[in-house]
Amino acid sequence: MTPAASVAIMVDFIEQFFHSSVMLDALAPALFIAFVSASISVMILAHRLSFLTVGVSHASLAGMGLAVTFSLPLLPTATAFCVGIALLLASLPKKRGITEDTGTGILFAGSMALGIILVSQASRNDVDLFGLLFGNILTISTAEWHWLLLIGSFITLIFLWLARAWWSIAFDPITAAASGLPVSILNLCLYGTVGLAVVMCVKLAGIVLTTGLMVLPATCAWLWGKSLVSLWLLSIMFACTATLIGLMISYAYDWPSGASIVLTLCIMFIISWGASWLTQQQKR
Amino acid sequence: MASVDAAQYGAFTTTVNSPNLALVAPIISLSHISFGAKKDPILQDISLALSAGHFMGIIGPNGAGKSTILSIIAGLIQPRQGHIDLFGECLTRFSRRKLLKNMGYLHQLHNSELHMPVKVRDVVAMGLTEYASPLWQPIHSATHHQVAIEEALQRVDMLDLISRDFRHLSGGQRQRVRLARALVRKPKLLLLDEPSAALDSKQQQKLYTLLRQLCDTEQMTIIMVEHDIAAITGHVDSVACLNRSIHYHAMKGEQIPEDIWHQMYGENMHVIAHDTSCIGCNHG
Repeated sequence: MTPAASVAIMVDFIEQFFHSSVMLDALAPALFIAFVSASISVMILAHRLSFLTVGVSHASLAGMGLAVTFSLPLLPTATAFCVGIALLLASLPKKRGITEDTGTGILFAGSMALGIILVSQASRNDVDLFGLLFGNILTISTAEWHWLLLIGSFITLIFLWLARAWWSIAFDPITAAASGLPVSILNLCLYGTVGLAVVMCVKLAGIVLTTGLMVLPATCAWLWGKSLVSLWLLSIMFACTATLIGLMISYAYDWPSGASIVLTLCIMFIISWGASWLTQQQKR
Repeated sequence: MASVDAAQYGAFTTTVNSPNLALVAPIISLSHISFGAKKDPILQDISLALSAGHFMGIIGPNGAGKSTILSIIAGLIQPRQGHIDLFGECLTRFSRRKLLKNMGYLHQLHNSELHMPVKVRDVVAMGLTEYASPLWQPIHSATHHQVAIEEALQRVDMLDLISRDFRHLSGGQRQRVRLARALVRKPKLLLLDEPSAALDSKQQQKLYTLLRQLCDTEQMTIIMVEHDIAAITGHVDSVACLNRSIHYHAMKGEQIPEDIWHQMYGENMHVIAHDTSCIGCNHG
């Protein structure tokens, strides 16, 4: 195949992708979720909260199980449950033998067990288990999109407002506290915001893959960024590019959308890491 | 076996140069501060008042409560008993944030800073009271902030490295940047916990000279915890000998009695006098 023919096939594919109503409906919510998760991703890496995202995303299954059992709206119930779990983890007494990772492990397992029992009792039509576990942005309803828009805008506003304070606490919590910053309250806000962001990501990448979306964008950016703002912008760039490419791959090969996006992010990280290593070698 | 250069400290014959405390309101006043369990207190009945421009060194053995007293003054921990006045106002949970704006603090624990990509400029900016403002209010574009950051770095001889990644600096350079962060807000009260750690002897002397200058020209009050009394002796106005309680508060030129050293460090020490027979001593 000549290069010109390859380009023509590519252009044809892109045209088809952008004319697909299913993909067009999913594109804006997916990019919006990528933008929000990429922003919070920077703070997750700075505060080393990767395991918290694993815990909270798995705990969301219990929230969804409760929603299904008691016929409550799915996303708002899951949102309230995730934020509750995240705040509970933030306020655990850390000096009484329960370290943060132990607490996360306990709540993660307990909520997951509760979720599995509740979901197993619901009828098969009520729950799209595959969608919950691995995400399916292609089935997003208008009501869900509006809900995501609302919490996503709220997260972005909180991020812009508190990013520097969170950054300063991650760098040196003692100096931040001695400067007069209310460190405990700010940490509580961070955990709550991470809980909110997790719910958004569950819609795109599912319970199992959410951590990938919450950790990988900033991890890619970490290799190149030199300051909070540059890390934030790079993280958004990586997340949005991976989301677009992932959705295209999902469309082309009929792969699950969430898994395609997370896999693209993983490949981006490997390329980014390799390029960063090469750059450092050249400098030497 | 510990040895303390007490004779060198006592060699000064000048009178106390701090202003009369009865006439000038103290910058800091501690009255009957106790901390820790009643049966086994970490600090017991500490009372102290320092006026503007006073430079006090705190010495004492490991576990004497030196860092604890700084943490209490910095409002990081609450004393079990006692009262603290800063700048003529009582330090409470409500007044804390306002009062800490006039205080700089350099502590000893620096565990989390090295995993984040932060430029030297940004580390110093974290010391500004306005740093935690929202992301839509740029810090570095404000000229007065820029000037303050450069001035603080100039003071510690680190201006040339303003754009460097903090992680790529040596231990001594990092310590100087942390000191610049404590100085950037031009505090009235500066708390330093072993600031000369990681500094070579030349930088150590430069640091003490700078601190002396800040007390004399800008009327900054400094409380500094140090182990090496011989190194600070020519610079401070007074030395507090701390081991749970203040055993002795010696003003410049005053000899610390030998029994005080034994009370603080136990019997496993010798107080040595320096004379011309000492090898390696500079008797000027």
